[in-house]
Amino acid sequence: MIVELQKLQQVVWGANVLAAVILFILVVSRQNYRAFPAFTLYLLTNTALSIWVFIAYKQWGINSNAAWWFAWGMQVIATGARALAVSELCRRILARYVGIWNLAWRILLSCATVLLVYSWVATEYQWKLAVIRAERGLELAIAAVIVGVFVFTRHYGVTVEPTDRWMGVGYCLYSCFSVVNNTLLERYLNRYVPIWNFLEMLAFLASLLLWTWALRKKLPESASSVTLLPEAVYSTLTPEINVRLESLNENLKRLWYPEVKRP
Amino acid sequence: MNLYFYFFLGLIGLLLILLIWSLRKPRRSARPHQGMSLPEECGSRHTAYLPQIQQALAKEDYEYVSRRASRELLRRFRTERRRTALAFLAGLREDFENLLEVAKVVAVLSPEVVALQEFEKLRLTWQFRWGFERVRLQIWMGHAQLADVSSLANVVSGLSVRMQRAIKELGERAALASKLGSSLDGGGVHTV
Repeated sequence: MIVELQKLQQVVWGANVLAAVILFILVVSRQNYRAFPAFTLYLLTNTALSIWVFIAYKQWGINSNAAWWFAWGMQVIATGARALAVSELCRRILARYVGIWNLAWRILLSCATVLLVYSWVATEYQWKLAVIRAERGLELAIAAVIVGVFVFTRHYGVTVEPTDRWMGVGYCLYSCFSVVNNTLLERYLNRYVPIWNFLEMLAFLASLLLWTWALRKKLPESASSVTLLPEAVYSTLTPEINVRLESLNENLKRLWYPEVKRP
Repeated sequence: MNLYFYFFLGLIGLLLILLIWSLRKPRRSARPHQGMSLPEECGSRHTAYLPQIQQALAKEDYEYVSRRASRELLRRFRTERRRTALAFLAGLREDFENLLEVAKVVAVLSPEVVALQEFEKLRLTWQFRWGFERVRLQIWMGHAQLADVSSLANVVSGLSVRMQRAIKELGERAALASKLGSSLDGGGVHTV
């Protein structure tokens, strides 16, 4: 049973790497890396790390302590890159709306910090579980931030592009699954390890497919920040425009109401 | 241990429910109701009746009536007074909600025009809600403080002024954009 699962795990691992490479090629060929630079970096980091971890396991053996620490260290780096990609998505969706963004980023960051700290101190302090908890905390924070952004967009009626929506769903579902999976791992530890890794990879494959779907088309050139006129120009021109509008109004009045006495 | 285990599972369940809810298409748009223009929505229609309400709630008037009217008439006078004050309060709340809706639309339509910082909006909302409940309780108990009613109306009229200013700025920016657009065309229509 365990041997079969290990074989299946290797197949899913291969599928993951293949899907990530295809997605990376798609992102580059469609030039979507311009819209999602942090996501592209995350994809690259994640794929490279996953290959290194595979090599490390081959080199040191699946049960070695060194391989275990190496794998988890790499996982923390990947999760960090993921957090960067998520912050990029949040900015894409909300940063245009200055007032909303000022409120949103503070609330989201506070929520993320509280969840991160809470999930760390939630159980007794044990070194062996430290990395699992750190990762769970980060994933929980990521899921909360993504959901928070969508709640904000719903509250304010902000339109979210389908690409951004699918990207967000991809991040969120994987993070939610990862939290559940890590919580189960913490509880059942040794009994759950073989299934845990397999399920984690399956969930990531599902996210990769969602992101591939989201980025299947070339995105329009990102609406680079609007170039506003200097305040001085604005204040000089506004009175002039007001005078012209007033004059236009008078002209229209004369046109529509010819009976009005002319001066 | 068990508690934390279920806590994490529950939290994830909650996040998923929120995710599904926030991705559903909203039933109504955040835009104001059809047929209502933004400037109309910016008015604080009910604050115009503040002097009359202050007069109606004045202690002197009540004392005068209580000296001269029969007990039945006085009872009716109290009931009517309360009903009017509560209707005024409901109107103020309606104005306030409309103005908040306008602020939301301005924040979405024109990110550069910050009509009201969102933190300030939260503060004003709490201030209004708290004041509203306090005044309502006072009215029910029969001794409304005129100062509290006025400060509630001031919150609404202050917000209304700021919204009108933001809408004006929106209009001016739109006009400026159109002027610049027609200048670029090279053959702009001269109105003077």
